[in-house]
Amino acid sequence: MPTKQRLIRYLAALAIFAAADAWIFATLRSTLRDDAARSRDSSLALLADSAPEDLGLIEDWLASVPESLPGGAAIYLVPSEDDPYAYDPYAADPAALDLWLELEPGEDAQKGLESAYYFENYASPVEATLADTAVRLFYAPITDEAEGELLAIAVFMAPEAGAPGVERLLTVFAIGAFALFAALTGVSRFARDPTVGYAVLTLAGLSVVFIVFPLFEAFRLSFVKDGHASLAVWADALSGAHLQALWGSIRLGVWTASTSTLVGFLFAFVIHRTSARGKKFLAAVAQLPVISPPFSLTLSIILLAGNNGLITKQLLGMDNFSIYGLGGLVLVQTIGMFPIAYLTLAGVLQGLDATLEEAALDMNASRWQVFRTVTLPLATPGILSAWLLVFTNSLADFANPLLLAGNYRVLSVEAYIQVTGRNDLGGGAALSLLLLLPTLTAYFVQRNWVSKRSYVTVTGKPNLKLVEVASPAVRVAMTAGVWLIVAFTLSLYGTIVAGCFVKNWGIDYSFTLANIGEALTRGKDAIRSTLTLAAVATPIAGLVAMAAAVIFVRKTFVGKKALEAVMMTPFAIPGTLLGIAYILAFNKAPILIVGTGAIIIINYIVRELPVGIEGGVASLRQIDPSIEEAARDLGADEGTVFRSVVLPLVRPAFISSMSYTFVRSMTAVSAVIFLISARWYHMTVLIYNFSENIRFGLASVLATTLIIIVMGAFGLMRLLVRDTGAFDKSISR
Amino acid sequence: MAKEPVAVTVDRVTRIYKNVKGRPDVVAVNEASFVVAPGELVTLLGPSGCGKTTTLRMIAGFDLPTKGQIRIGGEDVSSLPPNKRDTATVFQSYGLFPHMNVAENVAYGLRIRKVPKSEVDERVKRALALTGLSDLADRSPGRLSGGQQQRVALSRSLVVEPGVLLLDEPLSNLDALLREQMRVEIRRIQKSLGITAVYVTHDRVEAMSLSDRVIVMKDGRIRQIGSPSVIYERPDSVFVAGFVGKVAFFPVDVLGDDGDACSCSIRGKAVRAGSRAPGVVAGGKAALMARPESLVLGRPGEGVVDGEVRQNVYLGSSVESFVTTEYGELLVQIDDPAGKRLAAEGERVSVSFNEERVRVLPAEAD
Repeated sequence: MPTKQRLIRYLAALAIFAAADAWIFATLRSTLRDDAARSRDSSLALLADSAPEDLGLIEDWLASVPESLPGGAAIYLVPSEDDPYAYDPYAADPAALDLWLELEPGEDAQKGLESAYYFENYASPVEATLADTAVRLFYAPITDEAEGELLAIAVFMAPEAGAPGVERLLTVFAIGAFALFAALTGVSRFARDPTVGYAVLTLAGLSVVFIVFPLFEAFRLSFVKDGHASLAVWADALSGAHLQALWGSIRLGVWTASTSTLVGFLFAFVIHRTSARGKKFLAAVAQLPVISPPFSLTLSIILLAGNNGLITKQLLGMDNFSIYGLGGLVLVQTIGMFPIAYLTLAGVLQGLDATLEEAALDMNASRWQVFRTVTLPLATPGILSAWLLVFTNSLADFANPLLLAGNYRVLSVEAYIQVTGRNDLGGGAALSLLLLLPTLTAYFVQRNWVSKRSYVTVTGKPNLKLVEVASPAVRVAMTAGVWLIVAFTLSLYGTIVAGCFVKNWGIDYSFTLANIGEALTRGKDAIRSTLTLAAVATPIAGLVAMAAAVIFVRKTFVGKKALEAVMMTPFAIPGTLLGIAYILAFNKAPILIVGTGAIIIINYIVRELPVGIEGGVASLRQIDPSIEEAARDLGADEGTVFRSVVLPLVRPAFISSMSYTFVRSMTAVSAVIFLISARWYHMTVLIYNFSENIRFGLASVLATTLIIIVMGAFGLMRLLVRDTGAFDKSISR
Repeated sequence: MAKEPVAVTVDRVTRIYKNVKGRPDVVAVNEASFVVAPGELVTLLGPSGCGKTTTLRMIAGFDLPTKGQIRIGGEDVSSLPPNKRDTATVFQSYGLFPHMNVAENVAYGLRIRKVPKSEVDERVKRALALTGLSDLADRSPGRLSGGQQQRVALSRSLVVEPGVLLLDEPLSNLDALLREQMRVEIRRIQKSLGITAVYVTHDRVEAMSLSDRVIVMKDGRIRQIGSPSVIYERPDSVFVAGFVGKVAFFPVDVLGDDGDACSCSIRGKAVRAGSRAPGVVAGGKAALMARPESLVLGRPGEGVVDGEVRQNVYLGSSVESFVTTEYGELLVQIDDPAGKRLAAEGERVSVSFNEERVRVLPAEAD
């Protein structure tokens, strides 16, 4: 069929549907309005009946009218002594009185008075404006007991009838139905393979509902105060105290990024550019903190160096030492985040062609000169990348500052306090939006500028021979440094395990097993719900990520770039913001899911999708498209190709993406802390609660349990996929 | 860039790679000795794994000999690191610095040597002109073709005026036509500068066309050293004969030697061979080698062996006839075929050879 004809038919179908849609919408709305008007009229009549006959009480009654009629007012008209057709108006609201005096001579008002005179209620069809609100007048006669005499007329100025919320919902549904119909019929009519079209539509729909909409709501509601458009929220967010927190976040980010990059480079260099022993072990330890649950390192530091810390108080007897604040935070974040820098730099240093260093040596450069003029410049984009990635992570970090910040203020915690402490969701949204500014900047600089500047080998196969750029002495020093950090990291984990078996850390170090029983009993429900939520989210996230990757790599369609950008955004968005945005967006119709497990699962999927997609995209780029073409050529449709060819080929990426989602879901805290409910609790939040209540034993047990579960998942993935490169890469993105 | 050329001496050099995890050690280079004269271009030729690249890397200093000595210009450099040796290497993968443009790449060695800025510019300009890259000085290496990258790598090595130029399969990443051009160019530049050069390749045509002398290696050992014509015409072993060109072998019994020549018999038929390799003695078994161009076709029964033409391959200046015989398939080259009568495919023929041009080699032991 020629395209033009197809288009005409399509438009005709759309027009018919639009007409039907509009008709249904209009009918429903007018029914709704009539209903609303009727119920309002009867309630106004009842209100009129409550009017006192005693004129002395009329002032109070008038003043109380807005309580039952929000935004409205009433005029009480008493027939004049001299002229039975004229009335003396009483009003509590001068604006209402002015409006009445203005309207009284009008034809409609006379009609209303006349109706009331004959004991009839009259609802005026004419709209008036009272204090910027659209109102309609309602005339109700007030009679004596026997209904023989007209005592007065109550004129109510009632705000527009109807239920604006319901009407808005109806509009949303009407437009939504049309858009859905247009998209679905459009795809089935024009797409060469509708499966892809439907998949794209589904992804786009989900992105709009679960990424764009909540973020938009958070943004919109940060400009609303008490139901009115206002800049008050932002004025508060940009006030001194909060700006100080922003500055605190940035300062912490700069420190952590710098130390983490340094440590990460040290690890990457020792592991990939020297002939040190035990490289596999070092690499494994360097990745440990990435998968360890939040609060665990902080907990350990508090046990060792807190107010009642084993080292600071018991061993060294220091009384004035405080680990709380910037120093402690930088320490904990560095241990937790240097792996990100390590993994980024390991990739860079590993891929560095040793021929280049050989060439420089051959040109008579000394080792130091080779490092300075070749190795370092080639690693610079990687170093910048690592720095920015850690910076973003540090800014978004919520768990560590929550426990360890002390009087030091950071924005993520500030936003949390705003929401939970002051019950100010809009303020929390504004604060976390404020946090987005440096985060997004760093993210885009990294993605669009630094990562494009990376040097991969220009030609031929890279020479993987090792060139010892470091002199023996330097090498020994660096290796010693690395082992020292490894020892420290491991001792932190050891402390957590030790914490499980100690009666009362800091006071009574006697051995006990009681913590384990108590923690597991009290945490039973949390453990179950945490596992359930992660287990449900994991396969969905994996499948959606791979499907999206296929679509992004292999297909072309209008708006691909935009969809890709939207789906990748959650990666750059602090969990705090996403959590707040989700409560703001989903605590009301049409999508009321706050308090359910679904909101947590959706949040997991949305947050971890970018990493899965990147993994899938990277792995698909390695696969010759002709393999899929061959399958299609042999008669497989898109769904079959995906199932029988693509998924098996990207299996490593698929499994990595699933285990990543699982691990991250098990260790989530920043967003999920806003979304949990009594029914759906999260272990990490419980760990936090135990820590806050100085029940370190219980917190240690739960943290250890979480570490075991996560390590188990990690080990399982290693068994299933030999090549874990995709996972490592996904962490370091 | 005139500088007194230096000699390179490789003196009984052995390189053993200790293999961990219980596997046997690998002897990559075994007792190799040779001298590269000043201004000479010597090629190390051999199949992969023969130790040629290891030898080159030991000369450059990237690898150290387990035993033996390497001297450059009379000085023992065996234990010097690469940055203390007067060598410059052109790498197989070029090793161009991706974060520097062409001119910066070429200038790198001069900067390291603290050559004054003005002189650096001057010399870089000259080096780029020499390799025809003057227009590309500002380009980044990633935006050059393979041949251009190759020239940059060459310029970078030449500009520091090294005592010895080392080339590690520099042409293996180029396509056939470019390879031929660069071959000629490298040789032209090397000759015009009079620089001592060691060239590693596994391509026999490359080795033949470039070198003053060729060193053929196999399994870590040097099998023969000689000029290209010696290596081709007077190889000392079946391996060298076979590695450097197409060849047919006939098993023979050596009857007697007569100076360089010798007489022998092929299945009782007495033949004479124009030359013999060392180690061929009367009364022993040996192999008679004949290049395709020294084989001649005749009527059945007239030659050394009878056979059947299986296929004729027309190459323009010559025709290659594949003849199936009891000694296997022999390749006979017929030069200037125009106007000659060629035996049809399937026709029975005899093969004989030009006795002056064939050579008797010791029967292959390994």
